[in-house]
Amino acid sequence: MIEARGLSKRYGEVVAASEVSFTVGRGEVVGLLGPNGAGKTTVLRMLAGVLTPTAGEVRIAGHGTEGEAFELKRALGFLTGDTALYQRLTPREVLRYFGRLHEIPEAALAARVEALVARFRLSEFADRPCGKLSAGQKQRANIARAFVHDPPALILDEPTTALDVVTGRFLLEAFREARAAGKAILFSTHVLGDAEVLCDRVVLLHRGQVLDQGTVGEVCARAGARTLTDAFLARVGDEVAA
Amino acid sequence: MRPTIVFHIFRKDLIETLRDRRTVVMAFVVPALVYPLLFTLLGSVATDKRGELERTRARVAAWGPVPEATLKAVEQQARADVVDRRDQPPAEPEAEARRLVASKRVHLVLLTPAGATGPSIPIRVLADSTDVDSDAMARRVSRALADHDAELLRQRMTALGQDAASARPLDVREEDLADAARRGASFAAALLPYLLLVLVATSGFYAALDLTAGEKERGTLQTLLTAPVRSVEIVAGKYLAVLTLTLAATVCNLGSIALALARGTAAMETGARFSLGLSSAGAIFVTVIPAALLIVALLMAIGVLARSYREGQSYLMPILLLVMLAGFASFLPGAELTPGSALVPLLNVTLLVHDLLVGKAGGRQIFVVWAVSLAWAVLGILLAARVFQTEQVLLSGEKPWRDVFSPRARSGRGLTPGNALAFAAVLLVLTFYGSALFERRTSVAALILGSQLGFFLLPSLAWCRLFRAPLAETLQLRWPSPRGWLATVLLAAGGWSVGAVVWEQLLRFPGARAYSDWLGELLGKHGQLGLGAALVLVALLPAVAEEVTFRGVVLAGLRRSGSRWIAVVGSALVFGLFHINPYHVLAASLIGLLLGWVALESGSIVPGVLIHLVNNGAQVLLDRMPGLAGQMRSSMAVALALASTAAGAWLVRGSRRKDPEPVEPAPVSLAAPRT
Repeated sequence: MIEARGLSKRYGEVVAASEVSFTVGRGEVVGLLGPNGAGKTTVLRMLAGVLTPTAGEVRIAGHGTEGEAFELKRALGFLTGDTALYQRLTPREVLRYFGRLHEIPEAALAARVEALVARFRLSEFADRPCGKLSAGQKQRANIARAFVHDPPALILDEPTTALDVVTGRFLLEAFREARAAGKAILFSTHVLGDAEVLCDRVVLLHRGQVLDQGTVGEVCARAGARTLTDAFLARVGDEVAA
Repeated sequence: MRPTIVFHIFRKDLIETLRDRRTVVMAFVVPALVYPLLFTLLGSVATDKRGELERTRARVAAWGPVPEATLKAVEQQARADVVDRRDQPPAEPEAEARRLVASKRVHLVLLTPAGATGPSIPIRVLADSTDVDSDAMARRVSRALADHDAELLRQRMTALGQDAASARPLDVREEDLADAARRGASFAAALLPYLLLVLVATSGFYAALDLTAGEKERGTLQTLLTAPVRSVEIVAGKYLAVLTLTLAATVCNLGSIALALARGTAAMETGARFSLGLSSAGAIFVTVIPAALLIVALLMAIGVLARSYREGQSYLMPILLLVMLAGFASFLPGAELTPGSALVPLLNVTLLVHDLLVGKAGGRQIFVVWAVSLAWAVLGILLAARVFQTEQVLLSGEKPWRDVFSPRARSGRGLTPGNALAFAAVLLVLTFYGSALFERRTSVAALILGSQLGFFLLPSLAWCRLFRAPLAETLQLRWPSPRGWLATVLLAAGGWSVGAVVWEQLLRFPGARAYSDWLGELLGKHGQLGLGAALVLVALLPAVAEEVTFRGVVLAGLRRSGSRWIAVVGSALVFGLFHINPYHVLAASLIGLLLGWVALESGSIVPGVLIHLVNNGAQVLLDRMPGLAGQMRSSMAVALALASTAAGAWLVRGSRRKDPEPVEPAPVSLAAPRT
């Protein structure tokens, strides 16, 4: 459902991503893990069609960026720390706006918005300007925004970071539900505990390159570690500390 | 480009901006309050001061042997009091006078040098022109002295038995031909253009900043990029939102300024009065529109380069300064709207608004400035669109302008909608100034030949080469299908007659007949051209050159927008605009619609060339055969022409040969779709 094939991105002499390849299947959650500056955001932007790869290919639900970027974006729900909400619009207005940009018919859109308001428990603040919401409320509204066109694939960058335990747990449950509904989810996080409990497979990214990928058990085994955190530190910790 | 998506972005941006108190206050509230307050305050202060001066008696010092009769006359006629009387002037009278005036003890000093005697007594009036009170009182006292001088002369002439009038061989009086309204207009003409331009810039400033750098800083621009929208749709929606706010603020504040100026001039001592009529206000607003188009485009293009709101303010400040600089031209005494100054963006609008206010500008000047400003505005909009298509800009990368202006980024094969509009803008400027050059020095034949080849055909071919657009594909150099041929024959046979009927109807409007007669004199049987030359120069040459330009290059670029309507209507409007006279613009635009549609449907340039050729050729022939013209206006002939045109239009639909490759929309960066 989500395919990265040899993705590379260069800015002059700087290599932000090099030959990054992995897949996320239907009904699967894959974690993209890496320290700050590993190139996660660049890879995610390329997958979302926001950034054009210098080399390589992206496929989302079978659609590539070349000539099919509309289909690609329609098949994808995208959320990163850089995709903020409009401060002076309400969550309900944001959902309607993005629904219209996805060309959802008005009647269907109204029903879809109300369903998302209910699903992500936005009703209390759905008509309050986003600028006046708490971090958790904003994140729930933003994730609802990524779901508005009911995409088969989701890319979620740090969706649970800086959230309270209740909201974090609520969102993890929503992602599990989406996985059960057959959606492919690429999940990037610093909270390795979340990755461990949620992800079917993980991809370790460092300095723009894939260091390792596989199930949590496989990655731990190859690193000779008992937990994902230990495996992560074993692969990149020394270099980061240096 | 999808209009509904542009509308959704426009509506969202408009709502969001109107909810931003800072933008609303700066665009609407502050100017609406500041101008009336400023002028009311100034008017009130000026009125109060004038009243105070009228009520105050002048305090005068008289030094030296100033005649007592003169002092008495000054006291009576100038309502003055001599508060400092010295028989001997001080050693340094100017310094002492300056000290006394500065200390407000006196308003002025009357000085007669010691020992002055004889029939003519010198009197110097020492006053400080930089001191409002001293200056006003000096004028009052000088008038009294002049009257007293005239009275003394009259007395002396009478004593000598002479007529007093004989001492004034010339009775010179200066009188102002300008009435109060014109004096008011002159005052407003200096101030209003500057205020208007600055108003447009400041109205759009915060909105443009908020929707570009502000959105980048808040991270919402990237959210928008994840939706299936083209960057050109984003820039169009945002541009329209900022433009709407800017023009709305301009309309509101134009009224407020007019009102404020009316009150301000009423308080002026010169007796000037200013009132802005609805038609003048409308003409000024229409003149300001292209300036707003350009200013908003520049604000958007530069604003989006910034990574934060604060950085954006620094980036946009030079644009504000440029606008203010252009606006200052209205204060310069010698600045006039000339062919040279009409070329300079913003300056031309300043000078035109100035000329409109003093009643020196007409429709021609408005049209020229509009056309030139529009060409600049198109270039500005293209720059904004170009900037919005740059990844490094939208994602707040380092040194984003490198990507915007790098040759690699500009390279590409074929024409785009923006490219076509840029071509039209360049041609418009070239045609306007080139025609002015040809008009003065050459014959009609050389003018037509030069303009058709030099302004249309050759630039079109050069443009294709410059942007590596394959000629055969761009100009649709292929034969039409058999059905296309049949449609061409029918359209050519009937189209010219329908066009003539439309033209006849247009002649009913004021001014159209004079223009038609002028065209007839220039190109008709009474003109310089013989029949053969007229057919070649008026029919054949434009049919080829203009079709290559408008249904070739312009249409080719616009059709890559993905919308056939934009391609046909856009190319028709551009074609019309080149005919300058408003009636001709309308008629040519209508013909342009038909020709553009035929070119798209037939997939060939040939039908357009033939229809254009027959249309122009028929006009040449009809002008020389009045009898035939009368027959062609009969109901039967018109009905046949309409039927033929309708049948041709029906047949040409989908008559394109199957072999040509399908037209692809323009490539868009940021991995925008190519559907």
